Amino acid sequence: MKTMVSLEQIVFSYGPIRALDGVSMVVGEGEFFVVAGPNGSGKSTLLKILCGLERPQSGRAELLGRPVSAYRRKERSRLVAYLPQTVPLDFPFSALEVVLMGRHPHVGLLHMEDRNDVDKALEAMARTDVAHLKDRPVTALSGGERQRVFLAQALCREPRLLVLDEPTAALDPAHQVRLMDLLEDLRHERGLTVVMVSHDINLAAMYGDRVLLLKHGRAVCQGPPEEVFTFQTLEETYGCVVLVDKSPLGCFPRVTPVPKRYLQKEGTAKENR
Amino acid sequence: MTHRRLRCAVPAVLWVVWVVFSAAAAVSAQTRTVTDPVGRTVRIPEEPRRVITLAPSLTEMVFALGAGHRVVGVSRYSNFPPQVQDLPKVGSYVQPDVEKIVALTPDLCLAVKDGNPREVVEKLERLGIAVYAVNPKNLQEVMETLTALGDVLQAQEEARKVRDRMERRLEEVDRRLRGVERRPRVFFQIGVTPIVSVGTETFAQELIHRAGGVNVAAGPEPYPRFSVEQVLALRPDVIVVSSMEREQVFETVRAEWMRWRGIPAVAFERIHLVPSDLFDRPGPRLADGLELLARILHPERFHGGF
Amino acid sequence: MAAFDHHTVPVAELRPVTPARLIAVTGASALGLAVAMVFGLAVGSSGTDFSALFRSLWGLELPDPTLSTILWQLRWPRVLVAMETGAVLALGGLVFQALLRNPLAEPYILGTSGGAAVGAIAGILLGLSRFPGVGAAAFFGSVLSLATVLVLASGRAGFRRDALLLSGVMVNAFCGALILFFISTTQDARLHSMLFWLMGDLSRADPTVAARLGGVLGVGAAVVFAMARPMNVMLMGRDAAESLGVSVLWTRVFLLGVTSLMVSAAVCATGLLGFVGLAVPHGLRLLFGPDHRVLVPACLFGGGAYLIGCDALARWLPRHGEMPAGVITALVGAPLFILLLRRSTR
Repeated sequence: MKTMVSLEQIVFSYGPIRALDGVSMVVGEGEFFVVAGPNGSGKSTLLKILCGLERPQSGRAELLGRPVSAYRRKERSRLVAYLPQTVPLDFPFSALEVVLMGRHPHVGLLHMEDRNDVDKALEAMARTDVAHLKDRPVTALSGGERQRVFLAQALCREPRLLVLDEPTAALDPAHQVRLMDLLEDLRHERGLTVVMVSHDINLAAMYGDRVLLLKHGRAVCQGPPEEVFTFQTLEETYGCVVLVDKSPLGCFPRVTPVPKRYLQKEGTAKENR
Repeated sequence: MTHRRLRCAVPAVLWVVWVVFSAAAAVSAQTRTVTDPVGRTVRIPEEPRRVITLAPSLTEMVFALGAGHRVVGVSRYSNFPPQVQDLPKVGSYVQPDVEKIVALTPDLCLAVKDGNPREVVEKLERLGIAVYAVNPKNLQEVMETLTALGDVLQAQEEARKVRDRMERRLEEVDRRLRGVERRPRVFFQIGVTPIVSVGTETFAQELIHRAGGVNVAAGPEPYPRFSVEQVLALRPDVIVVSSMEREQVFETVRAEWMRWRGIPAVAFERIHLVPSDLFDRPGPRLADGLELLARILHPERFHGGF
Repeated sequence: MAAFDHHTVPVAELRPVTPARLIAVTGASALGLAVAMVFGLAVGSSGTDFSALFRSLWGLELPDPTLSTILWQLRWPRVLVAMETGAVLALGGLVFQALLRNPLAEPYILGTSGGAAVGAIAGILLGLSRFPGVGAAAFFGSVLSLATVLVLASGRAGFRRDALLLSGVMVNAFCGALILFFISTTQDARLHSMLFWLMGDLSRADPTVAARLGGVLGVGAAVVFAMARPMNVMLMGRDAAESLGVSVLWTRVFLLGVTSLMVSAAVCATGLLGFVGLAVPHGLRLLFGPDHRVLVPACLFGGGAYLIGCDALARWLPRHGEMPAGVITALVGAPLFILLLRRSTR
């Protein structure tokens, strides 16, 4: 399996604040890779460096064996599709128009969208279940619907690597699962590699092939979910008490944060682990 | 395609023909080349029949020379003599309306150098209209301008008469004021809010001096501003208010000054209103202004009429 | 996967931009421009005469040859300059609204107007002639204030939008104070000239000005049109845009540079004309949608048409003398825009 992403000893600072301190990460082609960690641990920054949106002060970032900075902008945008957490869009473009912007990396400057582009866009919208919203202005959509429209835009770009920053944050459980299933389908159909930041550890455990756990800009642990999501690493990283057991759906862990009222009987809690 | 090109070519050809004709007409109709008081060489018609004035002062001067019948358009704020009310107005003197001017097909335009914008004059000349410019800055130059205009408008005899009359009036005032010992201190107010007076290089100052007064606001600044305090400190003997506004405003202004009993002008109730046109507009009526002011400043010398 | 038979949907409903839609919008706005030009040529302080205009256009002889002079030597350069200035201002507003992602942005927002006004007034006070003196001083002033704004707003990584906006507002305010100071201490006829310039003055239009401004506009409009799709994409924010392959830095530099030059040139030629750069792009957006590839030609022709129309009104309405065009653009534009806005929200 080819290495899609290779980050070695990445150091990145925003002015005096060190966001990433020697983080290394490897993602194979076709993998579903999740980056998790508490707020402020540097997850979003890591994604941006991966996509070439920020340059690390030191360390090496490579895509498909070539340094990220060596790629020309258009080339890189055909390879990697980045979906940020929030996308400001104050002007009333229709959903279809927004999705069509995803064709930008593939077309020339003065190109007008043709049937081919529109077909691709509609296809992508059908997969993320926003096709019925195609003529609605994006400013009139709910947060979840917008998220799916932008996902459709990302798909429309036909990338080989999809990088998502908390894509399930605004979605209801049904759409969360649907989105993750979609990503899995795409992996199998097109060999798409997915790198995702998620706060939802259980989703990460369910879908992720490999996981990276970050804390304060440092890697705590990297590997398959069952190795990384142990109660020791999770408690150390997040600083709260968690219960980790095996999910009844398959051989991946199920993580339950423990509310305070269950902690009073300390003895009982420890036994149940 | 050729049809359309032909259609576009025709107005161009017509225009060229018209220009050539007018140029020829201009050359063949009698014209002569003169130098105007500003120093420009202008080709003017021997007999100007369609004259446009670009400033109210020029309107007055032209009509004073008896050449009013030659005028077809006047500057907007021309108000003297009364018959100019009915004449077409061609915009103000800072913003002349070129289109209206052209529409009146003048053969001569009269302009004032300090006031009319240079670009407008240049534009008129580019359109083939002769522009004769003057720039009188004191009484002497006004009289010379009258002579020059008389020459331009074929009113030389009338110009001589007007000039003589004006000179006699000025000299009469000089004569009556001979031997005056004390020159009253005059504050000549042309602006109400803010208070503005006149300095050097203005007609008002010259008239004040010639009328036997001293301008307390004299200085390099042509239109200096004053605060009430500064006027108090100057202690003028006479306050002359020249405002373009109506009588009611004058009463308010006078009441304002009357609060300051420390000013000699107020103590002796020597606050007067004068029409501004007689003091800031170059022309024969400056003599009216002088007589009025002299009577205000030295009433003892002007008992009876002139 | 659903099969969408959008081939049978009429073009007007198919929102994405196709060449057909572009041509339709361009045609409609060009038509608007032509109508405005007819009004601009037929109306004037010496009278309104449509028939004479048509006769002249058709190549027929006019009863009064001076009418021809008035039409083609006086009104035509003025209509041209009005068209060019309107186009520059509308394009400028469009670009700044996209660059700053702020619907309140307009072409003077980065200090261009304040600086140009200060420069022009200084030039007038120094007694310089309208051209090249005052024009050059205005240009210099606008470039200087723009540079100041950019320096003030530059940060760690390029320019932050909010810093740009705030600096622009501050520089404009400072220049405004300077202008008021100059005005309050000047009393002579030059004051009138200054005020007229500050309110927009199209009366000094001549073929040289028209040619020069036309050249600047041509280059500027071409660059802006080429960058129309990147402008669309930039509305999604820096990260998304970069990720889509748009170089945010270079797009901003090119657009900012070209637009500022255009706007400075226009300000020097005709003074400050408010409202055009703010309202025209919004109005056209309400009519034609937010895609910049369609809005650029629409603003080019629509902005021109709007200013020609306002100038024609300014020359036609008052019985004595000319109203400054800048007064009409706001008086007419604001209610018109409100009307359009209400119709679109219903």
